[in-house]
Amino acid sequence: MYTELHARSAFSFLEGSSLPEELAAVCAEHGMPGMALLDRDGVYGAPRFYLAAKKIPIRAHIGAEVTSTEGWRYPLLVASRPGYQSLCRLITRMKLRAPKGKGNISIQEVAERTGGLICLTGGAEGPLAHALTQGGIENGIACVRQLCDLFGRKNVYIELQRHLSREEEARNQAAVHIARKLDLPLLATNGVCYALPRRRGTLDVFTCIRNHKTLASAGRLLSLNSERYLKSPAKMERLFADLPEAIANTQELSSRLEFSLDDLGYKFPIYPVPDGESQMHFLRERSREGMIHRYGSSNERARLQIERELTIIEKLDLAGYFLIVWDIVRFCREQNILVQGRGSAANSAVCYALGITAVDPVGMDLLFERFLSEERGEWPDIDLDLPSGDQRERAIQYVYERYGKLGAAMTANVITYRGRSAAREIGKALSFDIETINRLTKLVGAWEYKDANDTLVNQFRDAGFDLTHPQIRKFFDLCLEVQDLPRHLGQHSGGLVVCQGQLDSIVPLEPATMPGRVVVQWDKDDCSAMGIVKVDLLGLGMMAVLEDSLQIIKEKYGEEIDLGRLPANDPVIYETLQKADTVGMFQIESRAQMSCLPRLLPKCFYDIVVQVAIIRPGPIVGQMVNPYLKRRQGREPVDYLHPSLEPVLARTLGVPLFQEQLLRMAMIAADFTGGEAEELRRAFGFKRSEVRMKAVEDKLRIGMDRNGIKSEIQDKIVRSITSFALYGFPESHAASFALIAYASAYLKCHYLPAFTAAILNNQPMGFYQPVTLLKDAQRHGLKVRPVDVTRSDWLCTLEKNGRDFALRLGMRSVHGLRAEIAQAIVNERAMRPLLSIDDLKLRVPAIQKSELTTLAKIGALNFIQGKSNFHRRDALWQVERVARLAGPLLETLEQRGECATEPAQECDAEKSNPPPTSTLSPLQIMTADERLVADFNGTGMTVGPHPMGYHRQRLKKQGVRSASELRGLPNGIRVLICGAVIARQRPGTAKGFVFLSLEDETGIANAIITPPIYEKYHLLIVHQPFLLIEGELQNQENVISVKAEIVGPLSISQAETSSHDFH
Amino acid sequence: MVQTIVRAEPDLRDRAVALVDGCPPLWKIVAANEAALREGIELGMGGSQARQFFKVEVRHRSPEQEKAAHAALLDVGWSISPRIENTAPGTIVLDLAGLTSLFKSLENIAALLAERSATVGLRPNIAVASNIEAAIHAARGFAGITLIPAGEEPERLSSLPVKVLLPSTEILETLQRWGIRACGALAALPVLQLSERLGPEGVFLHQRAGGKYCRSLILAEPETCFTEELALEYAVTELEPLSFLLHRLLDQVCARLEARSLAASAFCLRFGLKDSVEEESNVKNKSSVSMMESRTYEKMLRLPVPMRDSKTLLKLLRLQLQSDPPNGSIVKIILTAEPARPRAGQKGLFVPDSPDREKLEVTIARIAGLVGNSNVGSPQLVDTHRPGEFRMFPFSPASEESAGSERREPRSCRTAIAFRMFRPELLAHVESREGCPFRVGFRGARGNVIAASGPWRTSGDWWETHGWREDEWDVEIHFDSSGNKKISRGAQNGLYRIYYDWMRRGWFVRGRYD
Repeated sequence: MYTELHARSAFSFLEGSSLPEELAAVCAEHGMPGMALLDRDGVYGAPRFYLAAKKIPIRAHIGAEVTSTEGWRYPLLVASRPGYQSLCRLITRMKLRAPKGKGNISIQEVAERTGGLICLTGGAEGPLAHALTQGGIENGIACVRQLCDLFGRKNVYIELQRHLSREEEARNQAAVHIARKLDLPLLATNGVCYALPRRRGTLDVFTCIRNHKTLASAGRLLSLNSERYLKSPAKMERLFADLPEAIANTQELSSRLEFSLDDLGYKFPIYPVPDGESQMHFLRERSREGMIHRYGSSNERARLQIERELTIIEKLDLAGYFLIVWDIVRFCREQNILVQGRGSAANSAVCYALGITAVDPVGMDLLFERFLSEERGEWPDIDLDLPSGDQRERAIQYVYERYGKLGAAMTANVITYRGRSAAREIGKALSFDIETINRLTKLVGAWEYKDANDTLVNQFRDAGFDLTHPQIRKFFDLCLEVQDLPRHLGQHSGGLVVCQGQLDSIVPLEPATMPGRVVVQWDKDDCSAMGIVKVDLLGLGMMAVLEDSLQIIKEKYGEEIDLGRLPANDPVIYETLQKADTVGMFQIESRAQMSCLPRLLPKCFYDIVVQVAIIRPGPIVGQMVNPYLKRRQGREPVDYLHPSLEPVLARTLGVPLFQEQLLRMAMIAADFTGGEAEELRRAFGFKRSEVRMKAVEDKLRIGMDRNGIKSEIQDKIVRSITSFALYGFPESHAASFALIAYASAYLKCHYLPAFTAAILNNQPMGFYQPVTLLKDAQRHGLKVRPVDVTRSDWLCTLEKNGRDFALRLGMRSVHGLRAEIAQAIVNERAMRPLLSIDDLKLRVPAIQKSELTTLAKIGALNFIQGKSNFHRRDALWQVERVARLAGPLLETLEQRGECATEPAQECDAEKSNPPPTSTLSPLQIMTADERLVADFNGTGMTVGPHPMGYHRQRLKKQGVRSASELRGLPNGIRVLICGAVIARQRPGTAKGFVFLSLEDETGIANAIITPPIYEKYHLLIVHQPFLLIEGELQNQENVISVKAEIVGPLSISQAETSSHDFH
Repeated sequence: MVQTIVRAEPDLRDRAVALVDGCPPLWKIVAANEAALREGIELGMGGSQARQFFKVEVRHRSPEQEKAAHAALLDVGWSISPRIENTAPGTIVLDLAGLTSLFKSLENIAALLAERSATVGLRPNIAVASNIEAAIHAARGFAGITLIPAGEEPERLSSLPVKVLLPSTEILETLQRWGIRACGALAALPVLQLSERLGPEGVFLHQRAGGKYCRSLILAEPETCFTEELALEYAVTELEPLSFLLHRLLDQVCARLEARSLAASAFCLRFGLKDSVEEESNVKNKSSVSMMESRTYEKMLRLPVPMRDSKTLLKLLRLQLQSDPPNGSIVKIILTAEPARPRAGQKGLFVPDSPDREKLEVTIARIAGLVGNSNVGSPQLVDTHRPGEFRMFPFSPASEESAGSERREPRSCRTAIAFRMFRPELLAHVESREGCPFRVGFRGARGNVIAASGPWRTSGDWWETHGWREDEWDVEIHFDSSGNKKISRGAQNGLYRIYYDWMRRGWFVRGRYD
């Protein structure tokens, strides 16, 4: 029986075109007992291959093609664990000393680590082919002898590949001759690059991408034919009918490859504790201290829970893990870096006591088993939210420092071909021009929801392409083929893996693009599947906003705010939330959240927890939202699926909203243990398997039968569990997010200037564009001052405005202005005031004309001359003269900063006091719309009136209602609304409905577009920045929207407004 | 641009028309008339998208028609004034000084221009002004006929957008930032300060915006081409009398070239053809000119080096005409020579003598006459896996340097076994057993396969409609009656390369190993 022992997957990055799963599946189809995956310079696809093979099951042999300094590649197969470790270290060594994506290994380095490895002589890129090309058969014999010296005679196989090529066959003849001469075994392989023959096209496209060629110009770089697919044993036996031993040897070699990825030998590092103490004892002590701090010394419930958790932690030998996370959190606290645990870790009282999480799981009666259970035997997953940016980087660097370069690394993020990236690359390969590629790439992506009319044919037609044209059709087919294939290896945003001893013996390490960062070759899911513990240090924009807000408040208001001690149940906050006035607030600012808030009317912190969790696909798909809201409003009686479930569902009025409730339901209704319940959730989770789901459901029903639950009730319970397991939100996670939501609401309500400055300084983030955040803040009374080079810093700042503060926009918002130039302006200004535009150019000579022009255009230079009547066009007039390059005569002098005829001192004097020049211009002052256009072009926002504000009188005459007017109008009347489109959404759960948010000077109005109306007006809806919508007003429980019937364009301004689309 | 198409298709005159450029399917709109723009057509829009506007007629841009339209415009201009400036494609300037005595008034001249333009299918904007630039800008900005009395240029131009001055993109952006949209606003800016900001181009624009810029006319001259034309009383159908006439014309052209110390790099030979006898009776009322326009024959003769030897040139022309004779009797001959500087060169002292370029060209032309133009030249291998793929390049004797480098090529690179390729390939009949050919027949002979090696598989160009997939076999064939003299010469026992073409679903013989 033949076993394929030389295959590449798409994880050879542009040298293979099938995913490991596909290779494993085809291997099983052919009835092959096993297969070896040898990706180029890595084991990137090994976990996925191993996991896929395990399910089928087939034997998954691991190896790699390792590039030598001479350019050819050693095909290496792993025979044993030491061999795997050698391979990982070899690859790490070559990768870490070379730029990203490069690297090779010398023969001396290979010689140091050959134990447990088997070397094949390779195909066209192997050492033997290289030697034969260089010096004929004698050279080939010398090469094989060298391989025998390196790896041992028993560990070298003469590889034969047959892709129906004359040159290859000539090489094979030489190889057979060498094998006979040196008495070495022959080995047939197919040098597989794809699972199925039709994937050859994708490989050819990848070849073009790799070589920066088009298909038309790639010539013989492309494949000779389509023979590198995974062939069946029968086909291979026919192909090598003249050399049966080459086939038989595959089986023999396969039996020698004992190593499997379940034998990684990974160990989590031991946390260094003081002498004489055990890790567990140290953890107990820290937990006890934390418990007293959090709960006081007399909370028996908390003590029992913590004790129970510690018992499990001890049993699972996880003390080190908790201590390491605790250590990171402690470092952050010491460095004043905001940190908060999220996810299921918030179910743990130990995490709460250690300060890792901020939600009290005892007080909220959260289920620990959702986080950790004895049965699962898995590592827990703790995610820490940190302020995005430098602060998070400091925390990451701390982990590197503490565990060493080979002891900690970031998890990888495999960047795959998605819609646009695929379209762009394939368009290039097919020799399409740039403009066409741009138009084609714009087609891809778009809405989350696709209806029957959203066929690609229609999309292509709308963009002016004919899908019946063979070239366009080929483009389309290739785009579909490359979807989800790996493109390159990136770095995960925050996943860190740490290891006891050498991480490079577990998985190869690579340098990341970011200096000082090292990444492993596996992504977080692969790490998790391979049992490698990771800690996620995630950057959260809102954490940075909170941190910056606290800093600004401390500096400007002189107040220190402790987010852990915010006043509970602040009435102002709940009043604001009930009005859905939540622009900028964490997790509760989206259009969908806003439409729910007036119905849910949050009154306490737990309501915010529910609010965060309820607008999720789980409750929406499971049709839980309306029942919950109706029960909350008293319009529907509260009942429970079964009386026994009342304690679990009472908090959510009988409607299951959280994953923990699902677990508890299973525990109560079917006597599941905590671990079994979590297993149930996973069975119905993202990686569903019919067999697994059926087994768990049967078990659930048996348990419910035992407890006398009727079959119709069982059906309801099963249904609610299945819909929730996929999309539900853990209560602990919702609670963690609710804390941040509450804090953001508190800061926005009480310290609007500081909060607005902080959120603008951390853009891009959140749901809205900066202009929407700014306009919302202005509607709440914040005075905003424009960018001014005489006052603005790089970031937004606060300036005294009577008894309150005004916001001064920072130069960060100026498009195209470099940070170093802005900083130079601030520095110069700090030494002495800037007197004129000439003075600015003289003192910041690196400033470019485009930067000066943008500053002038947005009015940032209006105050530099110290004249009240100096306007933007005056500044533009000056800039054009100041920025003009010197002619050839004076060019060199200007570059040296010299004045030709004046002594140096006079020159300096002039520099400090430039001669007065005429500042008045003959140009007309900008009109209001021109200013608006300039503001939007230059900064993406305006501090002046909203564009709609200029046209209100005219619109009023047309019968157009403003956003604020809608609140007072009765349900069902016809209205006309208009505004700048700030959000367009077509959620996957909304059956083709489109939701638009239109902003005017009074606020935001929502419009609902039904599928037929969308079909009729889709070009307008998608492309127009301002829209006029006529339809029926829907005012249901204070949720106001307009059901559109007629949609029209609106000519308001040339300003380039932007919107949050399609998310 | 649209007018050039409308000129060729007068039915489109009052309809919405848009022009596309580029190769399908990637073509896009490059021009549209007002009516098309009103329908929603936008410049840059894709061709297929534009075709969804059912009221809009979409046509391909035609540089030839544009050139012809411009030539027609020049013709109209020359019919009025001998002093013309060929300003830009679609724009000409006429010097009207002194013409009022002939045409009475400037208004009359403008009207006459419009009228004559209409006869050649054009509707130009016409502006009359006392200086050239003012007239150009007014014609660009105002529709129809515009007359600007001397001294009124600043006022009349003031409302025109600055775009009519065709400033550089950078200056146009600056003017937009300044809020300067009309020529009047630009002219009102202080020129000294403007020069500080926009430099000489700014000053130039300023002058033109104010209608003050005066310059001299750059007189256009007819292109320096050497054309000889001969209208025949009797139609010529035979090559010999035609050669006599051609020789005469060639002598004249070559004499003119020689007088100017020039040679010809190319010749364009055009024949006006008379229709057949039957057709002749139907069109007898038509003028000979229109008859000639209805059918022409054109032959371009590009020369590898400039020549003016009329005898050699006649030989080349004769060979061209022999290989591609005109389809009809000749009533008019137009011979145009493209002038070029004559070849001047001296061979190296040690360079071996090579065939004379003129003689070589004649030889190649003779061969082309026998085998066809596409089958003459130097073969060059194409970078592809496709077996036997090559393309022909015009033959050019190797230069001294390249000849030297060829000599240096090591002998070891040459292949030991020669392969004689059959072009075109031979159709074969092949019987296979277990996927391996065992009997092969071609050229009327059949034989057994003694030994076979293969298949050697190649495939490619899968992204094109003309992709290929072939399985090649190297087979040793022993023909059934190898001693039989009746067997074709090609079917000798030996080693052949045969292949199965998956696209054509058939067997072929590619060649034989020598």
